[in-house]
Amino acid sequence: MASPKELSGPAGNTVIGPSILINGRLTGDEDLTVRGRVEGELALTRTLIVEPSGVVKANVSVKNAVVSGVVVGNIAATESVELTRDGRMVGDIRSPRVIIVDGASFRGRVDMGELAPGRPLPDRPRAQVRPAVRAALPAARPPAVPPRPPARSTLPSFASSRPSEVGKAPPAPPPVPPTVAAGAKKKVVVKKKR
Amino acid sequence: MAQADQVGIIGKGIIIKGSLSGGGNLVIEGRVEGQIALKNHLTIETTGKVEADIRAEELTINGEASGNIDASSRVAINTSAKVAGDIKAPRVVIEDGAVFNGSIEMDVKLPDDI
Amino acid sequence: MANTVIGSSLIIDGEISGDEDLVIQGTVKGKISLKESLFVESSGVVEADIETQNVEIAGRVTGNIAATDKVELKSDCRVVGDIKAPRILIADGASFKGNVDMDVKG
Repeated sequence: MASPKELSGPAGNTVIGPSILINGRLTGDEDLTVRGRVEGELALTRTLIVEPSGVVKANVSVKNAVVSGVVVGNIAATESVELTRDGRMVGDIRSPRVIIVDGASFRGRVDMGELAPGRPLPDRPRAQVRPAVRAALPAARPPAVPPRPPARSTLPSFASSRPSEVGKAPPAPPPVPPTVAAGAKKKVVVKKKR
Repeated sequence: MAQADQVGIIGKGIIIKGSLSGGGNLVIEGRVEGQIALKNHLTIETTGKVEADIRAEELTINGEASGNIDASSRVAINTSAKVAGDIKAPRVVIEDGAVFNGSIEMDVKLPDDI
Repeated sequence: MANTVIGSSLIIDGEISGDEDLVIQGTVKGKISLKESLFVESSGVVEADIETQNVEIAGRVTGNIAATDKVELKSDCRVVGDIKAPRILIADGASFKGNVDMDVKG
């Protein structure tokens, strides 16, 4: 069976490996990175990261979500939802901050509520591409994903100057002991994909 | 005079109520209420306010838009934009800071075992 | 010059109002009401009643025109409709059919 060390990645969050299938209710107080498959229900108080190989077929309730894989289900986030270039999602998004990068595909509703556009935005988590090898633990971790390419079309220059990119890539968060953190509550049925 | 790629501009102090259609590119800095059908690129600038169903080849929104949008290539909702309505386009981009409420229909290719 | 340009391939069916200059190179049907100047260029086709400060027509206009300052019909234009303005200029070559009212008193 997967030991706690295998489940967690260098940032102290939990990583669901590419051959793992989880079916059930998953709740937790830490970040979750999905490279495999999660079905059912997900409730996190932190960040959900669905990597390109990840598939989440569940209703998700999180603080932040960064989707680079497949999500079928609704996402309710208290802070932000980002669909990156490889992200594919069918479902509804409810979040005050939504970013859909050029190349993502999405079908569903978006509900951001009544807000003023161009308001100041705190930093948000970015998709991190970690090396597949578990050997490289805390210390030397590659920096976050290269800066997002600006999603601007080449127009005849009537486009008024827009505020420069908000939230440059944040410095790497401090490493946290890589054990399955105390406070993580998980009710999980783990089935290994054959 | 150049025909198809002409840029039309609806200035800040102009209000159009009715339907707008045509072949060139259009930049809206004022107000349009009604319907818009363009064969090319529509840009709604930061001062622009559009309450209309829009059909265009490509859309860049920096201002306000409410209504249904049907684009044949891309819809870009930029940081200063506030958009409400249903969008149907092969590509939709929402920049950080934009406000959008409505539905988006892109073509989503899901894996077979979903 | 003007900030608003209705390009030659644009068709507007409805009402246009505003407080800045307007240049029409395309087609407008409906109603135009401006506080500044209207320029209908040679490719412009307007089927609308016009209310503005000034208007300069080099294209086609069908509709009544009321200007608070001046109406100028340039050569090669075609205008059908009534014109009401304190100052009117009709160039040689212009084509016009309608009434002219310069609000002459006395």
